[in-house]
Amino acid sequence: MSEDELHTPEKSDQYSDADRIREVKLSFGSLWDQYGTSAVTVLNLTVFFIFWEIFARSGVVNQVFFPTASGMLQTLFEGLTSRAPPDAIISGQIIDHLLYTLRTLTIGVLLACAIGIPGGLLMGGNRYIERILSPYVWGLASLPRIALVPLFILFMGFTVKMQVTIVTLAALFPIMINAWAGVKTTEKSLIAAAKVFGANRRQIYSNVVLPYTLPFIIAGVQQGIGRGMVGVIIAEIFGGSNGLGFLIVRSADTFNSELMYAVLLLLVIISLSFIKITRMIEVYIAPWRQQVIM
Amino acid sequence: MRLAVSDAADQITGGRAVPEEKKPVIVAKNLTVGYKLHRERKLLTALRDITITINKGEFVCLLGPSGCGKSTFINAISGIVLPWEGSMEVDGKPVTGPGPDRAMVFQDYALMPWRTVESNIRMPFEFQNLGLSKAEIDERIAHYLDLVDLTGFEKSYPYELSGGMRQRVGIARALVTEPKILLADEPFAAIDAMTRESMQSELEQFVSKTKQTVVFITHSIDEAIILGDRIAVISRRPGRIKEVIDIDLPRLRFDSDVKSLPEYSEMRERIWDLVKDEARSGAHGEE
Ligand SMILES: Nc1ncnc2c1ncn2[C@@H]1O[C@H](COP(=O)(O)OP(=O)(O)OP(=O)(O)O)[C@@H](O)[C@H]1O
Ligand SMILES: [Mg+2]
Repeated sequence: MSEDELHTPEKSDQYSDADRIREVKLSFGSLWDQYGTSAVTVLNLTVFFIFWEIFARSGVVNQVFFPTASGMLQTLFEGLTSRAPPDAIISGQIIDHLLYTLRTLTIGVLLACAIGIPGGLLMGGNRYIERILSPYVWGLASLPRIALVPLFILFMGFTVKMQVTIVTLAALFPIMINAWAGVKTTEKSLIAAAKVFGANRRQIYSNVVLPYTLPFIIAGVQQGIGRGMVGVIIAEIFGGSNGLGFLIVRSADTFNSELMYAVLLLLVIISLSFIKITRMIEVYIAPWRQQVIM
Repeated sequence: MRLAVSDAADQITGGRAVPEEKKPVIVAKNLTVGYKLHRERKLLTALRDITITINKGEFVCLLGPSGCGKSTFINAISGIVLPWEGSMEVDGKPVTGPGPDRAMVFQDYALMPWRTVESNIRMPFEFQNLGLSKAEIDERIAHYLDLVDLTGFEKSYPYELSGGMRQRVGIARALVTEPKILLADEPFAAIDAMTRESMQSELEQFVSKTKQTVVFITHSIDEAIILGDRIAVISRRPGRIKEVIDIDLPRLRFDSDVKSLPEYSEMRERIWDLVKDEARSGAHGEE
């Protein structure tokens, strides 16, 4: 297709040759913007796995500890696409454990949001609530949550309830503290502007403080998911018979390094996907912060 | 015509041609205000013992060194800060908070980053009921968008605009309700010299039509002389009114090339001396 077919005749008259060149360049540029970074990432990962494969096959490290990339990827693929045979050493396939872990994580993070977002907003909005709650929030936030795992096991045993509690507690504080900080740092001049143009307290809260705080909340949830992920894996490693954490322990016990590395890779993929998704949500909800994120 | 003021403005000002008799609108008596500094648990006096009366339809410019309390003074008129001592009255009533009779152009624009240009300008109508229909509001918004030359940017977000464009959004937002009192905090500071001149000219004509009372902060002596009926020179912090100067040059000054008059340069000289003294005394440190 020639250039002329792209433009209507009278329109193409308006374009000088220089403009056309610019257009072509621009379209290449936008193509690069859209797919360039993904292409680089794909290439990058391919090279990484090829080196891994060569290294594993060279025999420098025993394959019991360091599997080939192809073996690991195959295990991962099969584990995600098929169900376990009844006589398997480890009950359940990767997919079953993945779903179990994700369910625990989701429930825990949702609970953390349900408590943390209103809690943080209240703390930011009301000086008295802030005074009363802040020592506990900072205290619990600075306590390594792993230290609480044995306590919860004592209370609740190796139950889903225990795991959800750990996830909730791990995810709660980043969410709460971010929401709190968002309210507290809302630009004073924006509040003043809303007041001058007639906003009452409720309108200031819903029209200025909340939109201002929203990106903070999203950032908090993003961190919360990360912490919750750590929490759920640790809880599963401590005990129980389900989940990716359990699968890591089992694969170690059975010297199944392909499975172990597959699960580790899967964890990386899940974490990155969560970060990517929350970023997309942030860009959608808070486009004015786009420049900051990119 | 771009400068046409919508009908509502004539209603607000009662369609009066010349407000001959002086009717006080903004009255500050021995006003002292300041801020509570949270960190140091102490109070900072920004303005001390300010007494000034601003009449209806008057255009008062505030000049003074940075940090002397100019913004604080118009914040006190708008009701964002309240008097510590003395009083601030608008239309005979003590100011207890903001009201629809006063609108403000903010020094730092204070646009909601999550609202488009159009939505920022619509904001005053969302928070207060000014008795306008949806269609009238739309018309107003379109009119003032055009006035500040931002037609076509309705759907843009502030972060997509230049500093000067953001400032113009802030100006449109303050004008759109056609308030009786317009408070403008260095509204042209971020706008280039050429656009600035044309906006000064437009504002002069605009206000001479609407008969709004304007309190206008600027750092430019020329701008103050061109626009002001009176200029209040404020001394360093804690700010006091050092002198109030009447500018009795003919209107409309922009068209009449007032800058070439001998009175103009005389006036300029005099104000410059006042302001210079303040700037110099500042070199010896705080208070
Ligand atoms: N929100 C605030 N909290 C505490 N102190 C403030 C606040 N706003 C202003 N001040 C102080 O009050 C004094 C007067 O400030 P103001 O903003 O009125 O000055 P200004 O004359 O408008 O200066 P500029 O020309 O730089 O805008 C300054 O010394 C400043 O430090
Ligand atoms: Mg100021």
